[in-house]
Amino acid sequence: MVLITVRLPPGATLEDAISRLGLAEEDVDTAYGLVLIDPDLGLYGLRVTEEAGRRTGPPFSDPKIEPYGPPKRSRDGRPGPRSPGSPP
Amino acid sequence: MRVLIQLRPSPDLVAAVADPGQTATTADVADGLPGVELDSAFVPVAVPRPVPLAGGDPLSLNQPLDFSLAAEDASVLVRGTISDDELATRVTMLPTIRPDVVGVFADPVIESSLTCGGDPPVGDWHDVERLINAAGLAAEGLDGSGVALAVLDTGINAAHVARHLGRGVTLDAERSWNPAGVTGRPGEFEVDHGTMCAFDTLIGAPQASLIDIPVLLSARPGGSALDGLLSDAVAAFAHLRTVLDAQPADSRSLVISNSWGSFSPAWDFPVGHPGNYSDNAAHPFNLIVASLDRAGADVLFAAGNCGRDCKDGRCAYPDRPIVGANSHPRALSIGGVDVGGERVGYSSQGPGRLTARKPDICAYTHFSGSKAFGDTEPDSGTSAACPVAAGLVAAIRTRWPSSRLSPAQLRALLRRTAEDRSEVGFDYDYGYGIVDTAGIIAALQRRAKSVA
Repeated sequence: MVLITVRLPPGATLEDAISRLGLAEEDVDTAYGLVLIDPDLGLYGLRVTEEAGRRTGPPFSDPKIEPYGPPKRSRDGRPGPRSPGSPP
Repeated sequence: MRVLIQLRPSPDLVAAVADPGQTATTADVADGLPGVELDSAFVPVAVPRPVPLAGGDPLSLNQPLDFSLAAEDASVLVRGTISDDELATRVTMLPTIRPDVVGVFADPVIESSLTCGGDPPVGDWHDVERLINAAGLAAEGLDGSGVALAVLDTGINAAHVARHLGRGVTLDAERSWNPAGVTGRPGEFEVDHGTMCAFDTLIGAPQASLIDIPVLLSARPGGSALDGLLSDAVAAFAHLRTVLDAQPADSRSLVISNSWGSFSPAWDFPVGHPGNYSDNAAHPFNLIVASLDRAGADVLFAAGNCGRDCKDGRCAYPDRPIVGANSHPRALSIGGVDVGGERVGYSSQGPGRLTARKPDICAYTHFSGSKAFGDTEPDSGTSAACPVAAGLVAAIRTRWPSSRLSPAQLRALLRRTAEDRSEVGFDYDYGYGIVDTAGIIAALQRRAKSVA
């Protein structure tokens, strides 16, 4: 899944966003819903499949985030083994 | 270059240097060495001569040896500086014109070993309480009363925090929020990283109201046990915008502590892609951070644990590891120092990716505090430094809501008053320096008078 943004009037719903973007419901993470990013700009965000993101674009990455601690010891300064995760 | 110069002056002078009852100066021993700026403050040191046992090799140090400080055997060390562009010439020529010069040696800077992940705690949270002058803050009425302090992490266990602080904790369950799919009640999550962060915020702001947002417990596809997805943080910030907008404009304050980030470019679109996060101020999360700042929230991010000296094994950015919102121009990026004021070796160094001048400031970490990871384990990482700084910010907000001191003004205040550790102002290890509560209080007092 990726993030996309859309400009909508105040009080917009997920259905409004789906309609505006020409998406099908299965393209969208409906549990995530429609998130207001900047009310001053009327900018909203939603989470969609990568294919839908490419179609409506631009798609924004939704990277994994992790706590910054406790640090794993690596005194020689070399990075350790790559963390699991798949590229978008 | 700083050098040590070994000389063999007259035996009576060697005897004077070796005798603690007598005083011999650098000038006595080594006056007039051409091209050497001698350090007159350095007290000459007698160096014993290695003496092989009877029948031994006079030029080998790999044999049984005696060491003689007798005046006819010993030599003397003094300290000085030789210009870098003439170093080789002068080091070679000095013994040819001054037969008393035995040798010239480098005098490298020596540093204590930096604190790294896995090291035992350095000091405890009472040291941090003293260093950030929590008593001084409280005396000014700056204890976090009425200030909302959001901890975006793995969830808070309020009972654990209260037990280890030895005092009550105010948890704002009503304004707390879970990402979709995350179950659990505010303040009742398992003891983990988020509990450590909550504890550390309350060192400086004991009366702050904690908002519990377990954003790192995401149950979305792509997440795992103790991580989350950036989209959950976008939704969390959207929730916090509603918290902020519900407050009266003249008393608005919300501090957001974020001890998390992205360790690997493998999880992101490539730099240059319009949907990239790490280097792209137009990514929705970076936009919502700017939006919260504009609405009056103080946003703090840990700088990360990818310092060159002992980076976390998960760090996968080849350089510039302070990425995305952790390097946001409208957020404070917090590096870590131990209670001795030394940068911990894992604290990420700048430049940042969205803004070069990161970290902004440093706060304390690697101390015995919450015991969230066990009785002998420190509160560590820039994960601990960030909430310590967030607590200080929340304390300031007790009497200085964003209508009196905007988030940008507060960031400038913290940078301007920080204790500079580099002698050159900003640097990529410490940022502008270590948080300095005395300087903050003095500046606020001046500001209060000027606006009165």
